[in-house]
Amino acid sequence: MTLLTGHGFWNPLLWLAAAGGVTLLALLVWSRGRRDYTRGTDGELPFLSGEKAEGAHVGGGHLYWGFVEGLRPYVARLRALHSGLVNDYVAWLVVILAVAFLIVLVGG
Amino acid sequence: MNLPEHAPILAIAVPLLGAFALPLWAKLHRSLRDGWLALVAGATAALTALVAVQVYTTGIQVYTLGASFPADTVAPGGFPIRIILTVDALSAFMGLITALVAVVGFAYAWRYLAEDEGKTLALTLGTLLWAGMLGMAFTGDLFNLFVFFEVTSIAACGLVGYRTWASRGPEAAFKTMVMYTVGGLFVLLAVALLYGEYGALNLAYLARQIGGSLIDRIALALLLGGLLMKAGAVPLHMWAPDAYGEAPAQAVILLVANTQISLYALFRVLFTLYGGVPDPGVGWLVVALGTLTLLVAALMAVVQMDAGRLVAFGAVSQIGYMLLGVGVGLTAVAARPAYGLVAIQGGIFHMLNDAVAIGLLFLAVGAVERASGSRNLGTLGGLGHDLRWTTGFFLLGALALAGIPPLNGFASKLMIYQSSFLLSPILSALAILASILLLAVFVRAFQGAFLGPRLRKAEPVPVPMLVAMGVLALGVLALGLFPELVVRHLVAPAADALWTGRDLYLQAVLGR
Repeated sequence: MTLLTGHGFWNPLLWLAAAGGVTLLALLVWSRGRRDYTRGTDGELPFLSGEKAEGAHVGGGHLYWGFVEGLRPYVARLRALHSGLVNDYVAWLVVILAVAFLIVLVGG
Repeated sequence: MNLPEHAPILAIAVPLLGAFALPLWAKLHRSLRDGWLALVAGATAALTALVAVQVYTTGIQVYTLGASFPADTVAPGGFPIRIILTVDALSAFMGLITALVAVVGFAYAWRYLAEDEGKTLALTLGTLLWAGMLGMAFTGDLFNLFVFFEVTSIAACGLVGYRTWASRGPEAAFKTMVMYTVGGLFVLLAVALLYGEYGALNLAYLARQIGGSLIDRIALALLLGGLLMKAGAVPLHMWAPDAYGEAPAQAVILLVANTQISLYALFRVLFTLYGGVPDPGVGWLVVALGTLTLLVAALMAVVQMDAGRLVAFGAVSQIGYMLLGVGVGLTAVAARPAYGLVAIQGGIFHMLNDAVAIGLLFLAVGAVERASGSRNLGTLGGLGHDLRWTTGFFLLGALALAGIPPLNGFASKLMIYQSSFLLSPILSALAILASILLLAVFVRAFQGAFLGPRLRKAEPVPVPMLVAMGVLALGVLALGLFPELVVRHLVAPAADALWTGRDLYLQAVLGR
């Protein structure tokens, strides 16, 4: 059941047993928490950056906003390469072919 | 007729002829067409499994077309002149992947495709694509590799663009067709050069003759260019998100299998035809393109708002992991054989894991689009209220693709991380970074589409579509929980076929 992975090993059943242990520990900690809140009140509502409107949804464009914005300058350059023009697609094929020729002819 | 003996050619012939008969049955009645497709798909899957069982238990199976008996590979002059199928463990492994993907795809398509939206055309092209993929996997002949390369190209472009009345499918199909044609011409030119030099097209015979001449090296570069393009390696991948984003869901999982078959052809060329390529530069080229692929595609996935294109870039990034694994193996052939073998096992294992996980994701996105009428993550939300099973399937596929333990993507990625670490720790770090990016991407998509308040009403997903997704979900769990069994019985023999099986391959065909 143990898969050798080069430097180490991987056994998912052992991992599941460990995960089960951690879950039990988490439940134990949780069970010792406060019990004085009242169900069905505002205390159960999620806090969405002060959003008051009911039914507010953090959509796909908003989650990890800062993370995505941080990456945007790098991605913008990559996006520029994805021009959608088939001429560019073929040009890249020619470039890679040239690199492959260089490697097999000069390197070989 | 001795069925096991003829199984390799029947596995190709049944879907090929079955595909052309499909529209004729549809002319009579659509239930006859569906029954015929079930028969063809069942028979092809059974034949592929039969070939795999034979190869895994008794070794390489050869089949000579037009000979007195199938094992008669060499003509009286000691020269293999006929078309020969040569199925080793890696070919059989690839055949099994195509069978799994095709059967699941057809089951899904049964209720996913509407009759008045070219269903017969889609099923015909899908069956033809399956036949082409099996041909590429089983052929032992370089020219027939090109022929099946073209069969898969034509069928794939048809699947991307047949919906002329909706979406931007025809535009995506045109771009894909241009790329496939240029890449196919490179492959054809390489075949012509090798034929001109050695007067033969048989892979095993050519493998024995190739000695590193100028023509050999030019042919290698051409084959690299053509096959890397069809596999979707960055920066030759740009057709892939267009195609995956516009094709219907059941077709996309076949297209993913098609890129994997092209990777298989690349590995076959590098290891069997060219004997592992002693020049380390080629190995480093594969490693560099693999790393570039996994990273660039993951970064591009981050900013996608269309769930289909988002998963498409995720699919491209997985090709990078496979290239990295096998590239590390290619680079470490002589220096560190033990790690090289683990790397190749990781790369090959990831093909199966990717087919199952990314297939599940594409089918889940197809179900979302069918149920809600949109794939825009900016407008979707709360689908988990209505699509409970689809929500679970999407989450499972997303976590598996991001390599979260104990799901199936983790085991193969771990093998790739650890073996590439030996070549350079930077490679491992970049591969892990790409997985983290993908996790963020899929968490974002999951939250956006499935969680939160119900923003739009979703129609129920038909049961056959859920069953098809359920089969892949079970695959994700089974491959994740029992990776050692899969590696020992399926992946290791396939990796050995590349790593140490070249002489056996040559002997099986040439007999000495």
